[in-house]
Amino acid sequence: MTLTSISEKVNAGVPLSFEDGVALFHEPDLLKLGALANQVRERRYGDRTTFNRNLHINPTNLCVASCALCSFSRRSLEQPGAYTLSLSQAWDKLKTRLEAGDPVTEVHVVGGLSDSLPFDYYTDLLAGLKRRLPSLHIKAFSAVEIFHFHKLFQLQVREVLQHLRAAGLDSLPGGGAEIFASRVRQRICPNKCNAQEWLDVHRTAHQMGLRSNCTMLYGTIETIEERVEHLLRLRALQDETSGFQAFIPLAFHPENNSLAHLPAPSAVDDLRVCAVARLVLHNIPHIKAYWVSLGIKTAQTALWFGADDLDGTVQEEKIYHLAGSDAPQALAPAEIVHLIRAAGRTPVERDTLYSVVAEGEALPARACASPAGEPR
Amino acid sequence: MSQRLRLAAVSFLNARPITYGIEQGLVGADRFDLRFAEPSRCAAAVAAGEADLGLMPIASYAASAEELRVVPGIAIASRGPVRTVVLVGQVPWEEMTEIALDGASRTSQMLARLLSKERGLCPDFVEVPHDQIADAAGGTRGALIIGDLGLQIDGRFRHVYDLGKEWDSRVGLPFVYAVWAGRPGVVSVKDVALLQESLRLGLQRRPEIGRAWAVENRTDPAVGEDYLVENIRHCLGSEELSGATAFLARGFRAGLLARPMRVRLFDAPAPPEPQPRPARTLGAWGARRLRRRRTIAGGSGNPSRVPTLDRLLHDAAAGERITLDEGMRLYSETDFFDLGQAADLRRQALHPQGVVTYIIDRNVNYTNVCTTCCSFCNFHRPSGHPQAYALSREELAQKLRETVELGGVQVLLQGGINPDLSLAYYEDLFRFMKANFPLAIHGLSPEEIRYLSQREGLPVQAVLERLIAAGLDSVPGGAAEILDDEVRRRISPNKCSADTWIGVMREAHGLGLRTSATMVFGFGESPRQLVGHLDRLRRLQDQTAGFTAFICWSFQAEGTRLPLQDDTGSLRYLRVLALARLYLDNIPNLQVSWVTMGPAVGQVALRFGGNDFGSAMIEENVVATAGTVFKISASDIERIVRGAGFTPRRRNMRYELQL
Repeated sequence: MTLTSISEKVNAGVPLSFEDGVALFHEPDLLKLGALANQVRERRYGDRTTFNRNLHINPTNLCVASCALCSFSRRSLEQPGAYTLSLSQAWDKLKTRLEAGDPVTEVHVVGGLSDSLPFDYYTDLLAGLKRRLPSLHIKAFSAVEIFHFHKLFQLQVREVLQHLRAAGLDSLPGGGAEIFASRVRQRICPNKCNAQEWLDVHRTAHQMGLRSNCTMLYGTIETIEERVEHLLRLRALQDETSGFQAFIPLAFHPENNSLAHLPAPSAVDDLRVCAVARLVLHNIPHIKAYWVSLGIKTAQTALWFGADDLDGTVQEEKIYHLAGSDAPQALAPAEIVHLIRAAGRTPVERDTLYSVVAEGEALPARACASPAGEPR
Repeated sequence: MSQRLRLAAVSFLNARPITYGIEQGLVGADRFDLRFAEPSRCAAAVAAGEADLGLMPIASYAASAEELRVVPGIAIASRGPVRTVVLVGQVPWEEMTEIALDGASRTSQMLARLLSKERGLCPDFVEVPHDQIADAAGGTRGALIIGDLGLQIDGRFRHVYDLGKEWDSRVGLPFVYAVWAGRPGVVSVKDVALLQESLRLGLQRRPEIGRAWAVENRTDPAVGEDYLVENIRHCLGSEELSGATAFLARGFRAGLLARPMRVRLFDAPAPPEPQPRPARTLGAWGARRLRRRRTIAGGSGNPSRVPTLDRLLHDAAAGERITLDEGMRLYSETDFFDLGQAADLRRQALHPQGVVTYIIDRNVNYTNVCTTCCSFCNFHRPSGHPQAYALSREELAQKLRETVELGGVQVLLQGGINPDLSLAYYEDLFRFMKANFPLAIHGLSPEEIRYLSQREGLPVQAVLERLIAAGLDSVPGGAAEILDDEVRRRISPNKCSADTWIGVMREAHGLGLRTSATMVFGFGESPRQLVGHLDRLRRLQDQTAGFTAFICWSFQAEGTRLPLQDDTGSLRYLRVLALARLYLDNIPNLQVSWVTMGPAVGQVALRFGGNDFGSAMIEENVVATAGTVFKISASDIERIVRGAGFTPRRRNMRYELQL
């Protein structure tokens, strides 16, 4: 499985095999791998690099799952740092943002697996957000949360999704996939739904016409083979449903959790995962360089290693920051535009479904009288 | 070559030399159909398929929906004042609230917007018809005047800015206004040769062309001739290409172009007498002179003997010496991966064992008192300031003891220009250190040495001799910033000149000291200034072979008085590093700067030419004060180096592996 033979397959549009994927992870020449992924990326999108204006709401960190990989969750309200937002607190996050003249097109809602909040809390949360901004796209609840609702509230997955959709749900985020291999799940997230259940939730959502994203958490204890197998399972579902919009590689951050003895994945590994994903996931349209996970400098570099999207303005992400991410809490749109341009790419503002919102001169520019320092 | 080639050109004075040979029927009479049109029409004619080749504004070329190719060797360009693109007004540029633009010109419009933006100005821009532009300026409204009108405005406006000159002083490169461009494949190598011949004949006739224009326009005959000979350049060589690339890149960064663009050339005719590449023994200066003879256009030379980028990269990766102009092309024009891979190949050839070295040392900033007051520094304090310090012996001894205990082999000793500290102070300090600790002293930048020489009234050589006698082992290459006095005057006017920095290093090498060399970029320096810095290092290294390593990083702005105006992101750092690996063919080691760029970028940089991970630093005050606070241990470094596919090894000050 040389890079040349894989490159021929890529050019001929032949899906890569498991062995190809493993060989790509072992390819010693990072730049050759990157150049090949970049070729695929540029053939599809040229220099265009998308981002959106979004808001993160993490409604609660109460969670029954106790995953080893997590720095965010708390078991009970008595634990320090535990919280649950009241509905008006959650809605106010959107209101505050809009009143500050900082528009958003998407809200991203994910949280812990609470066993005390009623289902109405979740539907009211979405409905209230939608009421405050009818044009808002609500991307909410990972498959793990949907599956948790299914168990807790004794509803079919399809029913859960129907109720949420009636309340305003537009699409699902891709979190909670971690690594599909049960060996790894047993160790890092034994209480989360298993791979089959995760994939089934997305399959159901796709069948209902909802779009979703998918992810892979790398850098814990998984092997290269387990990574490739994970990608191939995502690809197989996509062959079936075409419902995934983007794949987001998530780098493990080891602070404040029980896997803190592990080192964080290095930048070379970050770029490698990004490039291999672009090459293996030929049927998933977008690869996202999530700057909160990668850090800004590596995310910029990843735009040359297969990624074509920088995620959004974010504000205010909690989960990665509690795990030691030193990326800023939020990026202003003009800052993202600048970061994309500084990486030699063409910025395009998109909505959640990847339609163009603004490009070229319509994009915000940094104030020209007093250039700001590079964010760190 | 059965079909005739349809050319659309402009009839302006500055384009006449280009079309001269064709117009006169001296060149390509059976091949070219030449028509004249307005500049913007030339691009439209090509887009509409009405012409095969258009002499089009560079902005139209960049905005073309299709990817066009450019005829090598021919352009309308200037280096310095151009006289026909001028911003005029009754108030200075900074006070203009509005600028009227001539609707006929795309490139000059874009240049005016770009230069305004780069000056930090945001005037409103309004388009005004060509025939009303001269009357558009008044009050706080300025006007951009283009074309022959610009030659006749003397005295009418209180403030006149020649944008050719403004560009040159800001960027240090020629500005390219227009080029021959068409779809890939429309012209053959032979056509290119004919077009170049037309220009060659036209260049010989510039005085006549200028005088004829003056007669037609009832003006002083000298005006047209001077303009063609003194102001306009008709060559599209590597400097002009770099200028055009810089313009397009800056335009893109400023949001004036929708996508990043490069100038892509049609194939050029092969040189009639291929000359061997300059041998390494020529040295950079000789090589550059030879190269310049081969690439300058006009006169009797062939205007287009510019090697392709692929050729250049291939040669550079194979270790062949590249010239300053070629370095600028590699820096401005090459693809990110191509440049990285060439540098990686070069690194592999120089360090085939797959080893990445690092050192354990401590950076001791013995004082923060400094009188130099550089705008980019957040470390210095004036003498007597409550935060001013100079380390006591006890404090220093404590730090050095810890260093030895942690496996350190070297101390990097840097401070400020502290007028209270004499040469004797340093001699005592070094003797004390050497007597008590088994550590190499890598200390005092050329700036500090120059200061001591001045303070003591002794030659640099004598200062160095005394310091060496006291225990100095090597000199760090700090305070180099950009070795170009224009940049230095802007950012650190009190620091030594580029010549002085080089001079101190020359003396140090002459006395047997090994030193490192650094570069800090991102001060708005031009590609010429940046590559020029590398060139100065390479020339000195040719003479002394005293540099052990080169280290570069981008300016860290936080908390300093110098606002960040330049791209200091990771992609540019990787490009600069890769370029340095190719350009500095005589400096063995390239250290990546994780301290400033972060361990993540530092790791990736090992694939862009770097072969040394610097040091597991126990302390680094200067950069840390400006917001960079990365701290990693030796085991972190080893893990990062392995993650990039290399074997980590500890080294000493001379870059020799430790057992």
